[in-house]
Amino acid sequence: MAATERPTRRSMGDRLYDAIFSNRLWRSIFRSGYPNTPRNQMLAVATNVFLHLHPTRIHRTHVKITHTFCLGGLSFFLFLGLTITGVLLMFYYVPSVERAYEDILRLDTDVRFGQLMRNIHRWMAHGMVLTVLMHMMRVFYTGAYKPPREFNWVVGVVLLVLTLLLSFTGYLLPWDQLALWAITVGTNMVGSAPLLGEPNRFVLVGGFQVGQNALIRFYTLHVIGLPLLAAVFMTVHFWRIRRDGGLAKPL
Amino acid sequence: MAAVRPAQGQPASEAVRGRMRRQREEELLVWPDLVFIEFISAVVFTILLVGLSVVVDAVLLDRANPAVTPNPSKAPWYFLNLQELLLHMHPALAGVIVPTIALIALGAIPYWDADHEGQGQWLSTPRAWANMWVGSIVGAFGTLLLIFFDDGQHAKLYERLMNASGVVANIDGKPNPDFNAWPFPVLRTMRDFQKNFPWDLGFIDLSKPIPLGNLLRTDLLGLPRLDLNVNIPAVVVEQMIPVGVMVGFPVLLSVVAQRRGLAVTRRDHMILQFAGFIATYLMLTVVGTYFRGLGLALGPYTIFAEK
Ligand code: HEM
Repeated sequence: MAATERPTRRSMGDRLYDAIFSNRLWRSIFRSGYPNTPRNQMLAVATNVFLHLHPTRIHRTHVKITHTFCLGGLSFFLFLGLTITGVLLMFYYVPSVERAYEDILRLDTDVRFGQLMRNIHRWMAHGMVLTVLMHMMRVFYTGAYKPPREFNWVVGVVLLVLTLLLSFTGYLLPWDQLALWAITVGTNMVGSAPLLGEPNRFVLVGGFQVGQNALIRFYTLHVIGLPLLAAVFMTVHFWRIRRDGGLAKPL
Repeated sequence: MAAVRPAQGQPASEAVRGRMRRQREEELLVWPDLVFIEFISAVVFTILLVGLSVVVDAVLLDRANPAVTPNPSKAPWYFLNLQELLLHMHPALAGVIVPTIALIALGAIPYWDADHEGQGQWLSTPRAWANMWVGSIVGAFGTLLLIFFDDGQHAKLYERLMNASGVVANIDGKPNPDFNAWPFPVLRTMRDFQKNFPWDLGFIDLSKPIPLGNLLRTDLLGLPRLDLNVNIPAVVVEQMIPVGVMVGFPVLLSVVAQRRGLAVTRRDHMILQFAGFIATYLMLTVVGTYFRGLGLALGPYTIFAEK
């Protein structure tokens, strides 16, 4: 502090800062102030329920954007965004052959920010398929699948399949021509498998053609079954990254 | 990694302690160095995605109508690679067997390439980049050539080069004698091969279905009589040749790369094959998305042109 400054009068900024960050409410949520020493910064990461997925220290090269291109993190970010926008979409959508298409139309025209929510959900879904594929390529080309990370690569492959299935099941829900026929083409592919194909297709679609049964099955898988599975596998994925000693580095 | 820690009971030597200190110095604190990057990229991508969503609306076509099949009917874009495969081989192969094997092979990568060479750095082994490029180029163009071949593009190209402009193949429905047609009608497309190959070898006519059901007398076991009519030309064209191509070409690629000294270690072969796989996957997706129009015929296609 410069000697000429009067120490008694605090600036607006300081007072505002104290009003926000030193009151009882804030302190009840965040027990300590901004962690400005290395010790406190490590404690902040280790003791915060959301941050403690991270280690407290990481290798220099892993912070470089060009090492991971944030692709795994982005996939997770998109998953979270899809969950939030998806919940909002569920308020307006009824998975019935009579109503589904009209609900989407109403969402696009009558609901405030409805079209925006649907757009964000759609673009995030396309984006997640892309980021997961690119994340897989990043992991491959950095040789990060090698022992001890073999199993986490396998967990990753499961996540890739789950991501594709999430997107595929969501594709049917607007119940427009695009949805119906894309799912018809897709499920017919399943049906072409030798022996078990046709029974599998029948279970998936719930009948001989894509109709109400297929819609309710896809809806249930899309909003609860697959997201839960994906969340479980992501938990394992992140936990394994820590157990395997953080991201791979050259020996 | 493990060598960094001193063995139990032994005093850490100066060298070991030095190495531990250096490793510490190589590390950064997650707060702020990582947490802030994560926060900023989350903000940036939120803005980008909301911006995109303001500008471009998600599509909504007409209400679903089981009675009206759109032409072409397409799967979601990330399955168009499989739909493209479907045009060239037996549906069970393209729709189920190939993707299943591909996923299993993908999951098995780390169990096959398990040493630590090139770990934790982008394409850091000596021939990594070369293998990546060769795999990508061979995969992409090889796929494209195969698609062109199965579409008879080589025959069409030949006919375009051998005929002056204006000479057409048929006049009033009759073949034009001045027209230089592709001289090997059997090798126009694989369907032509199936149709026109001389399957009748004299002593046996392979184009006749073989009633396997008459040989495998399942009815004698009390099971229903199998109606298995094996159609040899179809089996050859829809199953044996595609499998041969999908297994043979990658193996050939690895063998040639090995001979030429391009791929020496397992990691080299892995990169070569993975790059080839990704390029094939992308090329099939691009062709399936942008170059399959009416009746899934090969040609430029604009998605949602009708809207
Ligand atoms: C929903 C899908 C996925 C999510 C949310 C996800 C998330 C992540 C995150 C956040 C990381 C930390 C490093 C980074 O950001 O790159 C990571 C690392 C890793 N991921 Fe994924 N991942 C997904 C899919 C996959 C797939 C498809 C694979 C491979 C087939 C895979 C294999 C790995 C491996 C082996 C690591 C460790 C990398 C290293 O040590 O450098 N993951 N993942």
